[in-house]
Amino acid sequence: MPALPRSRPPRRTLLAAALTATLATTTLAGCGFGDASAAGGGAGTSTLKWATSYFPKHWDPVVAGSGAQFRQLSLVYASLTRIDEKGEAVPDLAEKWTYNATGDEVTFHLRKGLTFSDGTPVDSTAIKAAIERAQKQENSALFGDLTSIRSVAANGLDVVVSLTQVDYQIPQLLGERVLQVASPKAAADPATLDQNPVGAGPFTITQLIPGTKAVLKKNPNYWDAANIHIDDVELTSAPDPTTVVSGLRTGVYNFADIAPAQADAAKKAGLDVFVQPGFNASNISLNVNKKPFDDPRVVDAVRHAVNRQEFVDKLTFGFGEVTDQPFPSGYVAYDPKSKDRYPYDPARAKALLAQAGYAPGAIKLDLVVPDGGPDAEIVQSQLGAVGITTTIKVDKNWATPFFAKDLTLSLYSTTGRDSALQTLTAHFGPNGPLNLSSPYEPAGFAKAVAAVRATPIDDPTYAETLQAATRAGLESRALVFTFEQPNILAKDKAISALPANPGHINWTGVTIGGK
Amino acid sequence: MVRRVLTLPSGRVAVGVLLAVGLLALVGPLLAPQDPLATTTDALARPSVQHWLGTDSLGRDVLSRLLDGSRVSVVGSLEVVVIALVVGVVPGILSVQLGRVFEWASLRIVDTLIALPFLLFAVAVTALLGNGITQAMVVTGVLVSPLFFRVSRAATLAVARSAYVEAAVISGASVTWVARRHLWSKVLPPIAVAFAQTLGVGFVIVSSLTFLGIGVQPPAPTWGGLLATSLGFLDQQPWAPIAPAALIVATVWASNLLADAIRDVTGEAGRDLLDRRTRRSATAPSLSRTGGTP
Repeated sequence: MPALPRSRPPRRTLLAAALTATLATTTLAGCGFGDASAAGGGAGTSTLKWATSYFPKHWDPVVAGSGAQFRQLSLVYASLTRIDEKGEAVPDLAEKWTYNATGDEVTFHLRKGLTFSDGTPVDSTAIKAAIERAQKQENSALFGDLTSIRSVAANGLDVVVSLTQVDYQIPQLLGERVLQVASPKAAADPATLDQNPVGAGPFTITQLIPGTKAVLKKNPNYWDAANIHIDDVELTSAPDPTTVVSGLRTGVYNFADIAPAQADAAKKAGLDVFVQPGFNASNISLNVNKKPFDDPRVVDAVRHAVNRQEFVDKLTFGFGEVTDQPFPSGYVAYDPKSKDRYPYDPARAKALLAQAGYAPGAIKLDLVVPDGGPDAEIVQSQLGAVGITTTIKVDKNWATPFFAKDLTLSLYSTTGRDSALQTLTAHFGPNGPLNLSSPYEPAGFAKAVAAVRATPIDDPTYAETLQAATRAGLESRALVFTFEQPNILAKDKAISALPANPGHINWTGVTIGGK
Repeated sequence: MVRRVLTLPSGRVAVGVLLAVGLLALVGPLLAPQDPLATTTDALARPSVQHWLGTDSLGRDVLSRLLDGSRVSVVGSLEVVVIALVVGVVPGILSVQLGRVFEWASLRIVDTLIALPFLLFAVAVTALLGNGITQAMVVTGVLVSPLFFRVSRAATLAVARSAYVEAAVISGASVTWVARRHLWSKVLPPIAVAFAQTLGVGFVIVSSLTFLGIGVQPPAPTWGGLLATSLGFLDQQPWAPIAPAALIVATVWASNLLADAIRDVTGEAGRDLLDRRTRRSATAPSLSRTGGTP
């Protein structure tokens, strides 16, 4: 049978069709339909397109640790507790918890009927396995955070945590940073879990391209699924920071963390730019076990040489804050009495060095850092101004000598911890990972820490006790805090405001395009 | 060869630009109007009388950093080329002269080097040996050396199998004598082309590595580093990448132009071209003198 000749539409018809299509698209876009598409909403679904500079290398929470990547992992994993806008522990998988009379045992009562996304029940056995894995797994980055836990007993939906000491910080500790709970079935093979995460969080992973992209969909079995209004998430490793704003503007992403230098461009592009509160704090780490910092006068000279405002102006474009403590001002652990104890005073710094017997330029040190960021150059410049010569050494293996406490001078930036006490012990404790001068500990710190542990968080004296511990910790000569790096985020206006939970990114109640 | 290169306009331009860049490397740091490392409160300032190219995010004078960084940028690329030349040319010639075992072994090594992605390898080696300009340049030089190996080997093969070399060998001439008398004159021109070409490649590599923060420790300035830094502040200073980028582009362009010029004056076609030009220039004055027309 011969093929029928196709009738070609006349050129005028084609032009008319094209014109109609263009007009229709323009009209629909003008009515706001285009916004929904750019924001990720289409065909009745709402999609979060998140470009992040902290795309997780590891999806096993035990290996990933409590650094900035926990925010991305919390898409998949839930925890016993979470943090509210005041920074206080509130129920998550556990609907409540109770301490015994002596404060050395806490029982978490789990919600009923919950399952991980692989169908495994969320019960006390799963929580016990998660805690013990974090304590014992060979490549665990969390074992140091769990030293207060002696043992865990599983009893149906009750998890009984026995402690090595009185410690009322445990509910804050076992939140999203330290105890994101993976399915015990999936965690039986930690290597597989690391790239195939299985949790009981608000989303489940449907596709993961390591280091590049993760696609997630809403978990209907999440305990608070009714308050999760996002259907899909596309989590992408952010390319060069300078291109993120273009991606946001063109709808490739609708949410991203951005560099301070890009904030202005993002605002001009009509995006919502906001600073999520957090516990970020940068410091200059000194090793008081090594010369010249074994002389307190040299440490004091460094303290007075630091012009914190310069960090804020040049690195955060005014979005950050100066800080001389590991907490932002206004936080419960921030000690107002310790504010500005060592003001910027280069003349005094020079005098202290002279008293210590060091002529200008006599102290020559390596400033060892993991990357050649401008913060190191500012430190070099400020120390140079008082007569301490530093050579910046970029060491890609910096973590090894830093955590082995082999360095004399370095820099560190923390994203903080949900437990204020954990932040203090990490920085000032004798074995604190961020204490470059281990086993050095400031006098009175251990006693102050013990007092905080023994004080229930709802006790009227808690804030005062905690601030006293901060004060004791700040006697440490091992750390000079400089500034707070802001968590600057930009989002499409179609995405509603996020809960201002300090240090966290929580999607509860967030809508896209009003859906 | 130099005189013949200078007879070509492209050769003169290339040599001029490269001499200017070389001069910048020699005296640039001395010409810097301000301390290139001194930070000020005047961050991200626009170009002004005081700061001709503005200031960077830490308030440092960009012109001073550009001038100060020229030495590392130029010397770095020269280091790459010289290391590649030494590591590549000697084994390239010897692979023809020293028999099959050496030939087989050297070819396999060269194949391996070619298979390695130089940028990634340089990053890996500096991570292992420490992030220094010497480590980065040595690694890069070795990885670029296969170009010289192949060029010198190809030229040597062509000469070594020629009748006059065989005659010299049969007459009892030593390998050294043959190399000095016959090889160098034939092998040198392609190596010179490769040298000029690799100078441009080396410059791009050094700029790329310093762009990635490899090889040079902060706060030392380099052209690649300045370019990388300026890209982070495009919103505030859209003009900032122009100066370092222009210097890099001009240097690479001049190197490639020089390679073309050397090729033109040393190859058979190039010699014909020069001959034609010489004949034309010899004829042109006589026409002019007589005022006649052909």
